[in-house]
Amino acid sequence: MSKIAKLRVGMASCGIASGAEPVMEMLKASSGGIPVVAVGCLGHCYAEPMVEAVLNDGSSVIYRNVKPDKADMDNILSLGENGRFTIPPERAGRELVKVLALAGRVNPIDFDDYVANGGYDGLRRALSMTPGEVVNEVLVSGLRGRGGGGFPTGRKWSFLAAKKTDRKILVCNADEGDPGAFMDRSLMESVPHQVLEGMLTAAYATGATDLVIYCRAEYPMAIDHLRTAISQISEHHLDVLNGRRVTIAIKEGAGAFVCGEETALIASLEGKRGTPRFRPPFPTDSGYRGFPTMINNVETFGNVPVIMREGGAKYAETGTAGSKGTKLFALAGDLKYPGLVEVPMGITLGEIVFEIGGAERGCVKAVQTGGPSGGCIPAELFDTPVDYDSLKQLGAIMGSGGMIVVGNDRCMVETARYFLDFTHRESCGKCTFCRVGTTRMYETLCRIVDGRGRPEDIDFLTDIAPKIKAGALCGLGQTAPNPVLATLRFFRNEYEEHINRHLCRAMQCNSMVDMSIDPDVCVKCGLCRRNCPVQAIGPDFVIDPAACTRCNSCLDACPKKAIRRIARKEN
Amino acid sequence: MGIEFKLDGRTVTAEPGETILEVAKRNGIEIPTLCRDEKVSRTTSCFVCVVRDRGTGRYLPSCSSCPTQGQDVDASGEEVRDMRRTALNLLLSEHTGDCEAPCTMACPAHADVEEYVKAGCDGDFAGALEIIKRRIPLPMSVGRVCPRFCEKQCRRNIYGKPVAINEFKRLAADMCYDSYMETLPPLSGKRVAVVGAGPAGLSAAYYLRLHGAEPVVFDAMDEAGGMLRYGIPEYRLPKSGVLDREIAHFRRMGIRFEFGMKLGENLDFGKLGKDFDATVLALGCWGGSGMRCPGEDLATVGIEFLRNVVQSDCKAPNPGRTIVVGGGNTAMDCARTAIRLGAPSVTCVYRRSETEMPAEKQEVAEAREEGVEFSFLVAPVGLSERDGHLVLACRRMQLGEPDASGRRKPVEIAESDFELEADTVIAAIGQRTMAPAGIPVDRRGGIAVESGAKVMERVYAAGDCVGGPATVVEGIASGHEAADEIARDILGVDIDPVKPICVSRGEWQHLSKDDIVFARTETSDADRETLDTLPAELRKRSFAETTRTMTARQLAAEGKRCIGCSCSDKHECKLRKHASLYGCDPDAISGEKPEAGCDDRHPVIIRDRGKCLKCGICVKTCSEVVNRNLLGFKKRGFSTFIGTAFGERLPDSCSECGACVEACPTGALAWKKESGK
Amino acid sequence: MEDGKFEYLSAVDGDPGNLIKGLQMVQSREGYVSDDAVKAVSEHFSTPVVEVEGVLGFYAQFKRVKPGKYRISMCDGTACHIKGSPLVREWLRQELGIDSGETTEDGMFSLETVACLGCCSLAPVISINGRVHARLTRKSLASILAKYRKEAAL
Repeated sequence: MSKIAKLRVGMASCGIASGAEPVMEMLKASSGGIPVVAVGCLGHCYAEPMVEAVLNDGSSVIYRNVKPDKADMDNILSLGENGRFTIPPERAGRELVKVLALAGRVNPIDFDDYVANGGYDGLRRALSMTPGEVVNEVLVSGLRGRGGGGFPTGRKWSFLAAKKTDRKILVCNADEGDPGAFMDRSLMESVPHQVLEGMLTAAYATGATDLVIYCRAEYPMAIDHLRTAISQISEHHLDVLNGRRVTIAIKEGAGAFVCGEETALIASLEGKRGTPRFRPPFPTDSGYRGFPTMINNVETFGNVPVIMREGGAKYAETGTAGSKGTKLFALAGDLKYPGLVEVPMGITLGEIVFEIGGAERGCVKAVQTGGPSGGCIPAELFDTPVDYDSLKQLGAIMGSGGMIVVGNDRCMVETARYFLDFTHRESCGKCTFCRVGTTRMYETLCRIVDGRGRPEDIDFLTDIAPKIKAGALCGLGQTAPNPVLATLRFFRNEYEEHINRHLCRAMQCNSMVDMSIDPDVCVKCGLCRRNCPVQAIGPDFVIDPAACTRCNSCLDACPKKAIRRIARKEN
Repeated sequence: MGIEFKLDGRTVTAEPGETILEVAKRNGIEIPTLCRDEKVSRTTSCFVCVVRDRGTGRYLPSCSSCPTQGQDVDASGEEVRDMRRTALNLLLSEHTGDCEAPCTMACPAHADVEEYVKAGCDGDFAGALEIIKRRIPLPMSVGRVCPRFCEKQCRRNIYGKPVAINEFKRLAADMCYDSYMETLPPLSGKRVAVVGAGPAGLSAAYYLRLHGAEPVVFDAMDEAGGMLRYGIPEYRLPKSGVLDREIAHFRRMGIRFEFGMKLGENLDFGKLGKDFDATVLALGCWGGSGMRCPGEDLATVGIEFLRNVVQSDCKAPNPGRTIVVGGGNTAMDCARTAIRLGAPSVTCVYRRSETEMPAEKQEVAEAREEGVEFSFLVAPVGLSERDGHLVLACRRMQLGEPDASGRRKPVEIAESDFELEADTVIAAIGQRTMAPAGIPVDRRGGIAVESGAKVMERVYAAGDCVGGPATVVEGIASGHEAADEIARDILGVDIDPVKPICVSRGEWQHLSKDDIVFARTETSDADRETLDTLPAELRKRSFAETTRTMTARQLAAEGKRCIGCSCSDKHECKLRKHASLYGCDPDAISGEKPEAGCDDRHPVIIRDRGKCLKCGICVKTCSEVVNRNLLGFKKRGFSTFIGTAFGERLPDSCSECGACVEACPTGALAWKKESGK
Repeated sequence: MEDGKFEYLSAVDGDPGNLIKGLQMVQSREGYVSDDAVKAVSEHFSTPVVEVEGVLGFYAQFKRVKPGKYRISMCDGTACHIKGSPLVREWLRQELGIDSGETTEDGMFSLETVACLGCCSLAPVISINGRVHARLTRKSLASILAKYRKEAAL
């Protein structure tokens, strides 16, 4: 008899994208009766598809990069040594998995599985307290909004709780739109009940009657899992709070980043264009259709069951003076282990980038936190602790949790341009500073990257950026200049080199780069010539800079690494 | 229960719910806003109304922020002004339109072309003259001799010929000038000496009188007019029939002239300073430049030649075979005058090619018709006398690299010398100022000004003597500026120092017919009326005026050809008003403009997307006030615009309402301009 | 308008707050939101047409043009961009007379620009109804389009 009690397949979006579905099918067909269950995400994107064999003694063996073939199936079922996944040793002890404890461990749409693993214990404990005591518990925990703003969650709850109206709205903001961020998606796909448990706890504490999840339409699996979970909640009558049944609805966003902004989200919920409005009045005073409305982010709600289970005081033991608990980050960019990580507040950036992310020391020049709303922090400052206030001081923000590692071969001006491209396109178009200001910044950055920069461009950016921050109506515009300000602060030299010397030291900006074949290394194999889409390489293996589009096809094709990007010679 | 807070340092009280903007208004503190209209709910989009919370340093939109007890709000400091200026500059950077029509912008005197063309088109020539004289006090002359800067920028050039703008001045003046009289303000007692009775001096005197000063005009010659009289030939500007009439009006205004008074000779500069509150130097450019070659003294100086002809009442002797050296308008005047005096041949010698000639194309063409010959790419290298006639040694040239003026520089061709014989050689090469001692001059010999027109305390300069030879209308503009400066500095007249900003779509050369906004109810597609010109054969034999003034009927047709390029809202536009007040510059921030596009399908309302601020006042006016929902926001971000359902035109019934048109802070929604009757 | 074509909207409560939901329903059923659909949605949710259009234009999810029988997605990701996707766009404009976001008059082809198809090493690429066509040249593009035209004629 097999020692394997159960097989888990990571079937979140990232797993499926890596080919988990055929693996699951094949495993079912060959498992010989061992239950095969779909679970969420373990966070190790680089190792997907992943299969976990849970043994009878409760321990488990995890296999990485599983292929849907007989060899891999046999290997797993015989608990073979091949392809075993172990957490890289340098990561051990750095991560602190609390919010994600059940992600990838339970079947997301199995109510009982969730409950069997401690699910809804937090809600049960909350229900044994008065609503005021629950609010207090959250206040004591020191939890701050995980969507980026960092407003103390307990205080927000107390505002709503203080409202004496029959109908109060509680919104879960699941309109995660930062490029490169997928913390919320992962939570909703892997442990939808945990998010809902947090919402129900909040509803009990604040007296909210209408619960709404505003989720991007691009997350079909998350929506699907949440729907199933909501009906299970209803079946188990967990939605009866304070003696009455609350409603839980999912509203699908329709593709507008600005709807992550409270007042824009409310407009969208009301079926209108998602343009923000001036605050006050704050949503907790007058929100959705004029009712008091409170909006918390997915990850914030995800933290609530943890707080309620272990108590606010215990929760607050993790973290720094101003930032408590753990934080999820979506790690991406130039590093070995991209994926989802959960770390205690106060960990240094360096620990995340090098130890957890496996980035190579000396090859990283900065890390961008907070996506398009955040800023970059140069490698020299990697001993900065990750908490709301330290990051803000450096002109970056905690943000919702996107963390992009920027290697030495990336251009900081181009990075800023990339983010401004995103924000200016996502501007709602209402207020002057954001609508026109971000567009003008973007155009200026394009000019610099294209080699048409003018010395006064830096002055213009320096002048306009703080004004957009001060004069834009909502958070999108107020934070849009951050990537520019931060790069100007720490990498001003790169701007100056682009403008004054037409030099991109990262050799990334095509307008300032030529491709060059080193004749001493080249073996004239011809692969580069065959791969060149524009026939720019002559029989003498010299690249014609006029024809070359700097597409890197030759560089990628060269088996001898004889081709490099070099600074373009000025005519 | 009021909320007490500080606004610009003053303690003021707000009612609960009252915004900072409302409190400021109640207390006489002006805060600009574009998106707030009290008739509709607030939008908070333009951020031109920002104020600064001194406590937190944060900027707040005052239209939407209610003050808090004890708050300290800055509504007018430089930081606040800078934020507002930036907001306005950003809005200007996405604004497409023409505040002023390009003709008006091109006119050195900045005359309201569209308005006087419209008045003339409607047959109201007295009204047209009144509009013209606000900027051009010599319309009879300018209506004849102006090189028409306005017409060169007329948008009709995109498809056909420009509107015959200058002819409106000419007819309006010919018809109404003698009976026209300005309302003159009482004399303030301040006296101003104007030295020089040319266009700049006359213009300065005219506007000084309108500002209440008493001008006295001194001139070295026997009669007024300066270059109008002594430089421009009779056939272009008749002296007794036109110029004398024009100058008589100045006398009727009470302006005194003293002739035969030459500065530095019988007119003492120091004494003027004692006798008058201010002095305007409008000396002109009366020194002719030589040919800078051996024997140059044998040549006749162009302007002296022209002056002699005028002073001889066009009865000067036949100059015989004539060579005119030079390619400007003075050269054309000399050549054509020589023809009229009976010269058997006239050759114009110019060292560059025809393209580089500074003379007006029309002048060159007419000269040619009259028999003037041209010898291009030829430079004089010496002049001598031989057997009772003159011999001009010449060298052929070719064009090299462009010089500072942008024209290609002539370069000598080696061993290409040849000779031309003539009885008279006229040097019409250039003119310079001959400033008497004691007056500061610049590098090129012109009078040096400190700033604007001011030379030194109580002394101002205007016209050719400052910047070198220019046109009549430029001299007039310069004289007007000097008069305004004196009015401000010395007469204490309150002249608004704020110059309205002007957004422009650009020159017509860069535009297509699709870029034109036809803001009139109708625009005629007819060809330009032709000017009745004497045949060349008749012109050659007489100094009679070569052209006839266009008729009122012709001008009515011309007026209907005017597109009406300027913004219908130019006088009411809030963006323009605030941007001007805040010292904005439409080019301060540049970048791509959002997609423009104009909807002129409605009979009386025009919607011009390029001018829209996206404030949404029209959308809200239609839905909240009128209770219709005809307008709405489309798209988002930089591409946001306001449109109608399915892009259909507004219904006819909007003609009676127009609430959105009235509420629009700019010209994005406007009533169409009436076309001429 | 075909009678009852948008009857399925009645599954959604006519509260104007559900406007986006209604539009999403139309979009997923029809693949786009036609003028007729706009009118039906306007009526069902008691919201003026111009406001419905405003909402449609605000959110990236909604398409206003009927996709063609063959939906061409032109990749304009970084790799394709530098390898000449602007050229491909121009070729398509010449071949089909349409720009991004438009459909040919015969309803055969529609064109949209997408951020990245994930085939960067094969750039420039387009996909037609999901099938990727790689390393495009002017000539290969013409023959690809001809193939689809022929297929449609059968």
